[in-house]
Amino acid sequence: MFDAINTAGSGLASYHTWLDVIADNIANMNDTAPTSGQVFATHYAQAAEIPNGPDGVGGGVQIVGVTEGDPNGILTQAPNDPMADAQGYVRTTDVNLSEQMGNMIVAERAYQANANVIDRAKATYEAALSIGKGV
Amino acid sequence: MLDDIASLTLQTAISGLGQRQRVTANNIANSETPDFTASTVDFESALASAVAQGTPQAAPVDVTPTTDPAGVNGNNVSLEHEFVNATKTTLQEQLLTGTLTAKFNWISTVLKG
Repeated sequence: MFDAINTAGSGLASYHTWLDVIADNIANMNDTAPTSGQVFATHYAQAAEIPNGPDGVGGGVQIVGVTEGDPNGILTQAPNDPMADAQGYVRTTDVNLSEQMGNMIVAERAYQANANVIDRAKATYEAALSIGKGV
Repeated sequence: MLDDIASLTLQTAISGLGQRQRVTANNIANSETPDFTASTVDFESALASAVAQGTPQAAPVDVTPTTDPAGVNGNNVSLEHEFVNATKTTLQEQLLTGTLTAKFNWISTVLKG
């Protein structure tokens, strides 16, 4: 019952998680680390379809895991950084801000699309609930 | 009187529309999922022939994957297409439930005399 709303709900949850991951990436984009260690790596949310039920209709979408980019980051010359090594190098993150901003818009619009679906599914179910009203 | 062809046809169509709404919701939820293939629901043609045979409730609902070309991430969902479908389905559902209620009202009038 009311499966379309659950399906759209799974979309809201997944795109919300994606937005969280993007926010984390952007928050950490200026992290640095000494060359002897590892630095923050871009996180990527992996989405997958929730498998079809017996009637052939899929159950929505889910985040199945988060994979990470390169923890070696990019070697950057920054002699004034307190973590710089003897040659003046630190590790900076592989976060690409343009990519993250682009993804953020996609995730935001997809979230809105799913919120919209909940509205429409609600109107559909309300129509079904009104059968026989006033009889 | 309550299980005549018209009522059964309306009920079957309403449940087919419900299925279509779920498939549309699933397509939109997966609009960014890599390698996802959108599905469509068809029950109208099967329902038309089932009505002709006098057994509308036996009409199957077919869920089939679409053959639209996929984008770079292997996903072939068209959001515009899905929202047009969602809107149409909602309106059709309201129309059919309205018709069914009208029919029940008519029966109720007969019963009350």
